[in-house]
Parts: sequence; structure tokens; C-alpha cells
Amino acid sequence: MVKWYNSIMTKLTVSFLILIVVISGMSFFYTYGETKTALKDTTQDELTSLASVIATQIDGDLLSTLKEGDENSPEFIKLRDQLYKIQESSDEILYVYTMRKIGDKVAYVVDAEYGIFDDDTSGINEIYETPSKEMFIGFDKPVSEKEFTYDEWGVVISGYAPVLNSKGETVGIVGIDMDSQKVIDRQNFIGNIIYIIILISVLIAGGFIAMFARSMIRDIHTLNATANKISMGDTGVNIDIKRNDEIGLLAESFGRMVASLKIMMMDPEDEDKQ
Amino acid sequence: MSLISDKVLKEVTFYLGPAAERFLERQTKYHMDGLAFKDIERKHLKDLAYWLKVSGGLIIDKGKAEEMARKVENLH
Repeated sequence: MVKWYNSIMTKLTVSFLILIVVISGMSFFYTYGETKTALKDTTQDELTSLASVIATQIDGDLLSTLKEGDENSPEFIKLRDQLYKIQESSDEILYVYTMRKIGDKVAYVVDAEYGIFDDDTSGINEIYETPSKEMFIGFDKPVSEKEFTYDEWGVVISGYAPVLNSKGETVGIVGIDMDSQKVIDRQNFIGNIIYIIILISVLIAGGFIAMFARSMIRDIHTLNATANKISMGDTGVNIDIKRNDEIGLLAESFGRMVASLKIMMMDPEDEDKQ
Repeated sequence: MSLISDKVLKEVTFYLGPAAERFLERQTKYHMDGLAFKDIERKHLKDLAYWLKVSGGLIIDKGKAEEMARKVENLH
């Protein structure tokens, strides 16, 4: 009796499973990588579009009049409430704010959360210490960050769009931040779906392989048992294997050999009886 | 060996292997009035097919024996 780990069935099943797992794994990493990139691109496009739309809703003339100390003015509160309403309208948006250039630096103008939460929100003309290249580009055209940015408010991906006054001049930018976790959650969701699909496929394929191997090995066992009996002089055996594959052919040849042996080994007295 | 016995032998060898000739000789000798296998003619095929089915069924699977008999009976 062949030990299970030496059995052709085990070898066949394991080999095919390894093959399937390797191919599926490679497909998974490729698909997941592509999907992550596509999701990030989509998120960037979304942020750019959203920033553009918000920018058109902001009164540029009003924004340009705000200066340090105006945080309690009706104009500031009007803009802040407008931004806060936008920020609260979507779970995807973490922060909405406006900024302007002061020399070669970038400073906050209106932060949607100013005065609403006790957090350390920025007041008018408070300099943003780590402006990115995209933030400066945002004064010219809608743009989004290529990568996540890390600052004191967390890990976010941001989009910017210029805010224009009535003369069509850029007076600032509107920035929106999306929590990195939202993007990661989206990526993980897709990753999990792909993972589950591959897992189910591997299980189904494994089941089919095991069934196929089992049926093949069962017939090989039958042939082996028959050969064993014949080798011990027992010719009273019949081979009942009906297959259209190579094992079927082997069984046919084997059956022919057994029939011939039976005829050759037949007692002459039996011959007379027939 | 006649042409028809040659065809029968070829057909039966597929099922019974190299001992097919010995088997066929035995069938014609004992069941068909001592007829020598090499002398069989088309008119004997029906009889021979019957004995192939009966005796063949003792050696190989009955279904296969019937298939073999049918093929022999339908030889031209």
C-alpha cells in the first residue's frame, strides 16, 4: 500500500494547488496593485473636481477683504459656515479651508472649523509651515496631491482649486482634505474582494482537481489490484473500467492481456467443456 | 485462412489478445459441428457471434463480450 504522501493523487492535487496558488497570488498582487493605483487616481480626480466646485461657490471678493483679527466678523463667519456646511455634507471630506499667498508663503484665511471646535484651528494669515508644490500649483489651476501628506492634523490626501474675485483674479485657494484611512479603506475593500474571489476559486479548483485525481487513482488502484490477483494465479477477474482517456486505453489493453492469459491458462478439460 | 475468418480474428483479437485464435478455434470446433475456424463463412457468423457472447462473457466483461459478438455478426 502506497503511503498517502507518496500517492499520485496527493502529488497531483498538491502540484495543481501550488500552481493555482502561485498563479492566483501573482494575479492578486498585479490586480491589487493596479486597483490601488486606479483608486488613488480616482480619488485624486474626485478631490480636484470637488475643490473646483467648492471654489466657484466662494465669494472671492469677500475672501480678499478678510485680514487678521476679523475672525469674529460676520463676513468671516458667513464664509466659515459655508465651508463648514460643505465639510459636513460628505463623510469623505475631513477638512475644508481657504488659503492665500503672503510673499512666498502660504497662510490660512478661513478654516471651516474655526471657532466651532476647541481644536487648534488656524486663524487668518496663520502661516502653513509645510506647503507642498501642488499647493502652489493650486493657485493657478485645480490640482491634487500625488501622495498622502503628513502634518500635525494627520495623514491626508488633499485637493486644491483657485478662488477668483469678480475680476477673475486669483485671491486664494480652497483646499479639501480626505482622510488617508478612507482611501486605504477603499483599497482594502477592493483587496478583500479580490482575495475572497481568489480564495473561492482556489477552493473550487482544488475540489475539482481532487475529484479528478480521485477518480483516476481509483481506477489505477483497480488495475493494480487486478494485476496483483493475476500475478498470484487468480484469473477469475474482470476489469470493469469504462473511460475514454489514457487510463481507459490502459484498462482495455490490460483486459485483453487478462483475457488472453485466461484462455492460455485454461485447463484442457475446461476446453472440452466449452 | 479465409478472408472472413481473418476479419473475425482481427476483431476478436482486439478483445481477447493473442489467444483469440485459440479461443475461436475452440468455439467453432466444439459448438459448430467440428468446423475449423479457418473454414468459416459468412453464414456461420450468426452462430459464432452467439457463442462469442456466451463463452466470451465468461472471460471478459459481459457488456464487452456482447459488443464483440455484435461486431462479428455485422462483419461483411
